[in-house]
Order: sequence, then structure tokens, then C-alpha cells
Amino acid sequence: MTLTRRTIPGFAALFSLPLAWVLLLMVVPYAIMISVGFWTRQFPLFYPDFQFGNYAQILADPQYTTVILRTLKIAACVTVCALLLGYPLAYFLVFTVRSQKLRNLLYMSVIVPLWVSYLLRAYTWKIILGTDGALNSLLVSTGLVSAPLDIFLYNQTAMVVTLVYIFVPFMVMPLFTVLDNIPRRLIEASEDLGVGPFMTFWKVIFPLSLGGVIAGATMTFCLSFGDFVAPVLVGGPDGTMVANLLQTQFGAALNWPLGSALATLVLALVLILLQLSSRLDRAGRVDLA
Amino acid sequence: MTNERHEGEQTMSILRRSAIIALATASVLPQALAANAAELNYLTWEGYAVDSFISKFEAASGCKVSASYVGSNDDFAAKLAAGGGVYDIITPSLDTVPMLRLAGFVAPIDTAKVEGFGDIYPEFSKESDVVADGETWAVPLIWGSVSLIYRPDKFETAPDSIAVLFDPALKGKISLWDDKSALYWTARYLGYDNIFDLTDEQLDAVKAKLIEQKPLIRKYWASAGELTELMANQEVYVSNAWTGLTSKDVNNLKKGFEVVEFTPKEKAEGWMDSMMLVKDSPNEDCAYKFMSFMQSPDGQCGLAESTGYFPANPKAVQGCMSDELKKERQVDNVEFVKSLVMWQQPARLDKYLETWNAVKAAP
Amino acid sequence: MTSSPIVALDGVQKRYGAFVALHETDLAIAEGEFVTLLGPSGCGKTTTLRLVGGFEEASAGRIAIAGEDVTERPPYRRPVNTVFQDYALFPHMSVAENIGYGLTVRSGRIGRAERDRRVADALSMVGLDGMAERRPGALSGGQRQRVAMARAIVRRPRVLLLDEPLSALDVKLREGMQVELKRLHRELGITFLMVTHDQTEALALSDRIVVMNQGRIAQIGSPTELYDHPASPYVADFIGAANLLDAQALGGGAFRLAGGQTMASRRADAAAGRKVSLGIRPERLLVASSAGGNALDCTVTERLFHGDRLRVELALDGATRPLFAEMARTAAAEGFAPGSRVTVHADPADVMVFETGDRP
Repeated sequence: MTLTRRTIPGFAALFSLPLAWVLLLMVVPYAIMISVGFWTRQFPLFYPDFQFGNYAQILADPQYTTVILRTLKIAACVTVCALLLGYPLAYFLVFTVRSQKLRNLLYMSVIVPLWVSYLLRAYTWKIILGTDGALNSLLVSTGLVSAPLDIFLYNQTAMVVTLVYIFVPFMVMPLFTVLDNIPRRLIEASEDLGVGPFMTFWKVIFPLSLGGVIAGATMTFCLSFGDFVAPVLVGGPDGTMVANLLQTQFGAALNWPLGSALATLVLALVLILLQLSSRLDRAGRVDLA
Repeated sequence: MTNERHEGEQTMSILRRSAIIALATASVLPQALAANAAELNYLTWEGYAVDSFISKFEAASGCKVSASYVGSNDDFAAKLAAGGGVYDIITPSLDTVPMLRLAGFVAPIDTAKVEGFGDIYPEFSKESDVVADGETWAVPLIWGSVSLIYRPDKFETAPDSIAVLFDPALKGKISLWDDKSALYWTARYLGYDNIFDLTDEQLDAVKAKLIEQKPLIRKYWASAGELTELMANQEVYVSNAWTGLTSKDVNNLKKGFEVVEFTPKEKAEGWMDSMMLVKDSPNEDCAYKFMSFMQSPDGQCGLAESTGYFPANPKAVQGCMSDELKKERQVDNVEFVKSLVMWQQPARLDKYLETWNAVKAAP
Repeated sequence: MTSSPIVALDGVQKRYGAFVALHETDLAIAEGEFVTLLGPSGCGKTTTLRLVGGFEEASAGRIAIAGEDVTERPPYRRPVNTVFQDYALFPHMSVAENIGYGLTVRSGRIGRAERDRRVADALSMVGLDGMAERRPGALSGGQRQRVAMARAIVRRPRVLLLDEPLSALDVKLREGMQVELKRLHRELGITFLMVTHDQTEALALSDRIVVMNQGRIAQIGSPTELYDHPASPYVADFIGAANLLDAQALGGGAFRLAGGQTMASRRADAAAGRKVSLGIRPERLLVASSAGGNALDCTVTERLFHGDRLRVELALDGATRPLFAEMARTAAAEGFAPGSRVTVHADPADVMVFETGDRP
């Protein structure tokens, strides 16, 4: 009992800062956001209220569903591409590169771009993909095309390429970790039982790396889903994503209630996704020990 | 035990007391500092707070100017809505002035305290959006136009109409300002003359036209810098543009081609920016000094020089502009306004914003 | 050993850079044998097993299994299966899936019913009926060991490789599993090649033991051969235990120890003047308070209680290393308190002689 009484101040001292942090910067803002979603807007102002008009507007007006579906599509494309790129890369690092030094070096080279400004990395793709850009210079100089093509930049493909490039480290990191944690003995055991490398991958390595796949896919998906820079920098007129819509509602359109309602929907969507992924993860979790 | 609890209470009260003191200090401090340093917080466009003339104001008034910048007229209300007490003077375009007044973000202006106010073109200073409810709400500052810009080397015959923005032959080579003014251009292209008070049917037609145009658009530009880049990198051949700025910037890059501005037969669009006083500004004194300064020769010529736009106070620039420049900048030629479609606040601004956003969101 | 060997190593060598894990080695294992590779860690026994399994590539030499050269073949194309030290069970599969794994993937030749039957057979063979649907994580160590066994034998390999199969189990369980292993070997009738560092395990299970030391084979033989006739002091000490005494041959089966005392051996002789090691197993040293034939004078330094037996540590006059003797707990033995002067006798038939001088 004395212990409890004595530990309370210590506990409070230790956790008050993170608790205050969570309360002030997470709980309170979310509570405000959710409640503003029920307010009424009378242009150019908005008033506290409790009504579902904003949600009704979002569901009724096809522009919002169009953008949400488009964002889901792009985030899904980014996730799949990042997986298709990141998995072989992580696999190569873990199973093919024998030297620990070289492996760490290569792994770092995947991670290091994260230290470079996000904007700068996205902007790089604009320079590469542009009509006057590096890719076109290469194509023209090699004679593959006679005149620069304008099909690379300012479209959804350019957005997917840029986002994949930016977020692929978030795919590689968890994949590298899970693959690195798979005991080599299991692979030997599989081969010992007459199973070749390809089926060993599908039957043993891949199932055991599913946790990393789920973690990486979840991170990549959520990060892409909330992105607003790629549409601005490399997206075309059909590139608006949910985050741009939110930006507009809180900025130019001066419609915080609608913006809050939309943000609440997006939050709910992401939470559902996270719930789903953690369920998948739990279902597939195995004890590697 | 009682002792311990007592100590606990004491600790709590000390904590609470210091928290209260900290909060009180935090809320008092900025005011105290503001009072001492004589500050002016200026929310405006890039190029509107250039050191060449701002330093003169600071020296003369003793007010320190700190400027923040917006990318579009819609940012003013957004920034003021995010929290008051941060800005003292803002410079929205005329079409945004009424909204800021109606939203209660700004205070009426005592024109007697603004030196040189009487010399401003009355077409601006007596404008119905500037003067409302018997009060003056804005001090006209500078004006200009939005025209079209194109690459002559890519056209066989020079374009002369807004129709060039909707020409399927230019698919993928057209840009357009990411702004509600896209609706004005389209409405004019469709032949409507009530472009600031479109009916629902007309707005639907405008929206449909803009969505139909989307496959032709390479990119909506969001800043003058972005349009310059799009033009310079050969991404687009035609766009609407802030007259004076983009063509100058692109041609300065010497890319081996030129861009040329032209006024379409449907007219160019005109705008006028004015200064507004933010409600409950703690630096009202500096704010009036600043508005006065911006109507002085130093202010008007300085701003006209840094932007390439037209001064709103012809008397102020008499002594500091060459005759040639005066002609170029339409000094004493306020009749030029009549050749423009001057922006007004759309009767249903929110409906316009919604329509433009719907266009951008469309597939 | 008259028929052709099931496993044949011919000059096999394994190097890692400059380090030689296995020196040029020849080894032949007959069909149906239970052979154990025995030695301390780093002696090359595991390397040898992994070379046979195909997990390591030989740096030189050839490996043949069942008459076929498999030197270049990957593990999945060798007719052997392995019980891994940590069992290496697939954690994401049930017990039945683990056991059936080697049958499912290349299932072209085996029907589903046949596969299920063989999995069930294997399960009951290792005594795990009813555990088919469990995950390895829900099993005890002994049960996992049985699953690993079942998984390895279900494919009916020509040779079963066992890498320290019992080392992860506690003592009680290990003894039970030794019996199981022996039974399985008898019932299956296939060749077992096991790696262990535990000499009692090796002695209890093996038909033949390959004692290894520093990347070389030190001696091959049956447990009794190795125990009774070790070829070197190393083997003598590793199989069982041995008191090793430095001595010089005097000729005629007599040897002078470092301290000047003499010992006789009837097992071997050496040319007079040769330096030798005499080996006497602790249980063959008879401690007595009075002098006798072929005896050494010692002082008791320690007496250790080992249940029904006593272990006595002795300081031999003029020698640096202590001697150990083991005996039953008799009244006389209880009297050997530390500090008491005693003599130890050894039957000359029990004194092993190892020449330590230069080899010819």
C-alpha cells in the first residue's frame, strides 16, 4: 500500500509529459475535429451545432466519393508497387548478400533517402519525368523517340511512381526485419525435405514474412493515403487526393465543418484499415522461437 | 501520513500557482512586447513587402514590419479564421473584400487618418465594395490585369480569344490558374455577362465545360512561379497569367523561345488589391502609419516597381515615375479599367468555391 | 562392411578461407549402421554432417550416397533427411502439416490418401497420435523432438542425419529418447548418422563411433573397441575417462613415471627410452592403505561422494597432475580421508600405453 502511495508521484512525474502530450496534441484536437464536423456553416462563418448535414453533403456529392475512391486506388497501387519492389530488395539484402558489412551498407542506402527532405525527393521526379526532363533527354539521345514525350509527368502514374519512391523504405524496413528473423534452419529444413528454392519461398519464407508484409503495406498505404504533395508536384488535373480536399476545405473554401466531417470520415477509414491489418497480423502471427 | 498529504497538497498548489503564473505571463508577454517594439504584422502577397521601400517605412515610423505571404485570395480568410490577433494589415483583392467584412475579420477605416486617401482614384476608393454601411473598409493599394500568355512559335495564327484555352488541338499543352477565376473565364467563354452572379444552370454549364476541358489541361498552376516553370520547361503553350509578371520571368530565362501576353477579344480580367485593417489590431497606430506610407510616393512607386503592377494613387507617383513608365502603368488612365472585366465578389462566393472544387475533384 | 557403403566420403575437405574446418577425410558407412560423429565443439563433426546433408559445399573430395555421387547436389536432391538440433519445425504449420510437408510439395507421385496414411503412421511411430492439429509452439520440447523425427523419417530416406538430436532435452527425457532412437533405428532399418558431443549418448546408441578432433578423424570403432582400445590419449580421455601419466619406456613392459616410480603394462610395450603416456581408467585404479604389486604411492587430496560410489583425488608423488580413482563405497574406502597416505594398484592388463614421441 505504501508502495502504491509512494509511486504515484513518481509515476505522475514520469508519465505526465507523454500523457499531457497525448491529451493536448491528440485527444483534444481529435475531439475538436469530430465535434466541428457537426457544426453549421453560414458562409463565411460557422456555428456550433449538432446536425449531420456535412456528412449528408459528403455522401450525396459525388466529388467527395470520387476523390476518396481515387485516393484509395492510388494508395493501393503505391502499396502493391512498393511491395513488388521492396520485397525482392529486402530478400536480396537478407538472403543473397553474404557480407554483413555490405548488407548494412545497402540497407542504409535504402533508408538514407528518408533523411533528405520529402519535398526535394518528390521534386526530383518532376525533373526526371518532365517534357524537358532527364528521362526524355535519355530517350531522345538514344533515338528511342524522336521528340520528347509528355506522357510521364502530371498524371496519376507519375504520382504513383513518386509515392512509391518516397515510401518504399517504409516497406523495406519491416520486411528486412522479418526476413532477417527467419531462422536459416527452416530454409535448410525445407530443402532437406526435398523442396526446391522456389517452393521453399512460397511455403516457408513468404508465410513467415507476412507480418512484415502487413506492417509495410499498412504503413505505405496510410502514408500514401494521406499524401498531399505528390498531387501538387507531379499530379495532373485529375490528381486531387483526399488530403488536398481537406486542405481546400480548411483553406480556400473556408468550410471547416465540412472539412472536419471529411477528416473524421478519413480517420474512421484509416482506423478500420489499421484494425483490419492488426487482425490479419494477429491471425498470421507465429512463434519463431 | 497527514504530514505527507499536507506536503502533497502544498506541492499541488505550488504547481497550480506556477501554472497560472506561466499562463498569465504567456498571455501578457506578447502584448507587452508589442507595446514596446511597435510592430506591424502584414499578411500580403510576395513582392508587396520588399525591403527597398519597407525599410524606409520602418526608419520613418519606428514600426517593425514582419510580413507573411498568401498564395491566393482565399487564404486571407483561412488564416484569419485560424486565430485572431496575429495580423494587423491584410491586402486582399477587391472580390474578397466584402467577405472579410461580413465575416467580421476587419474593422472600418478612419480615412482621415490615412494621408493621401483623397488622391486615390475615386473609381476605387468609392467602389461599392470598398464603402459599405456608410463606412470605408479598404484602402486601395495597387491594381492590374489577368490576361492570356502563349508561345508564338507553337501557333500558326496568333490566338485572339479565350477559346484557345478550350482548343482540343492543344490537348495537354494548356494550363489554367487554380483559382475560382477559372469560372469567370469559362463563363465569359460561354458568353455569360453576369459572371459574378451566375444562376445554378449557368454554373452547371460552366462546371460541365471545365470538366470537359480537363483532359486538355496539363496542370492547374497554383503560383506565378509554377506557371513560369511550366512555360519555361515546355510543359504548356498557353495559359491565363498575371499580366507583366510571368512573361517577364519566362523571357528572362532565355530558353530559346519567347512567351507573349495578349488580351483576348472577350477582354482581360482586372483586379485591385487594397489594405484592410484587422479587427482589434493592437498595433492600430502603426497600421495607420503604414497605410499612409503606402499612399506616399515612396510606397506607391516602390510597390509598382517591385511588382510591375499599376499604382492606385496617381498623385503619389507624379514625381517618382518617368512619363514612359506612367503610360505603361496606366497612370491617370483609370479609363483602362473599363477595358477590363474587374473582379467583384461573386454573389454566391461559397457556391463558386464549391463549383471550382468540384471541377478539380472530378475525374 | 562387405557390401558397398551407403555413405562414402572420399578425401572430403572443407575450408572457410584460411580456416580448415575438415581436413581431407575418408569415411564409409554401411547400410543400416548407426554411426555417431563424436567430439568437442569445433572438431568438424557438424561440418561433416552438413556436408552429407548438402548444406555445405565440399572444398575438395567427393561424397557418394547410395552409390551416387551427390557432391554437387543441393539438399533437396539427396536421399537423406535431417533431424535438426533445434528441430527447425515450421512454426506456421500444424504438426501434421510439418510431417506431411516433404510429401505435399512434390506430391506428384503420392496420392492424398497415401500421404495422410504415411503422416498418421509416422505420428504413431513417434507416439504423437492425436497431436496432428497442434502448432509446434504448443508442444513440449520432447514432443517437438518427436515431430522432427517423424518429419524426417516420413520420406523414408536412405540415411537419417541427426544433429545433436537430444541436446535440447533435459536429462530424464534424454534417456527416454535414447531408447526411442534405438527402437526407431531397429524398426526402420535405415542408416543413422548422428552428431553428438555427449560420449555416453554415443556409447549407448552407436554401432560405430567416429571420434573427431580438430577437423580430423581420431579413431573409428565400435563403442567397446574405443573404450577398451583407444588409439590415443585423446580418445582414451574422451571416451570414458583416463588418468594419463607421462612416462618413459624401460623395455619389457616397464615404464618409469616422471616422479621416479615405475609401472608395468601387459597391454603394450615400447622400445626402451621412448616417451609414452600411460592411461589407467579411474575405476581400474585400486586404492589401498598398504603396498602391493604394480603400485604407486599417493596422498589423498579430496574425496567426492557420488551416490553409491566414491571418487578420490590423489596426488602422485613427483607428478603435477592429480589422479582419480573410483570405487564402491566400502568401509575401507570411507577411511580414505584427505591427507592419508595410500598406494594405488593397477592390473598391468589395465594399463594402456600410448607412444607420444615422434611418429614414424
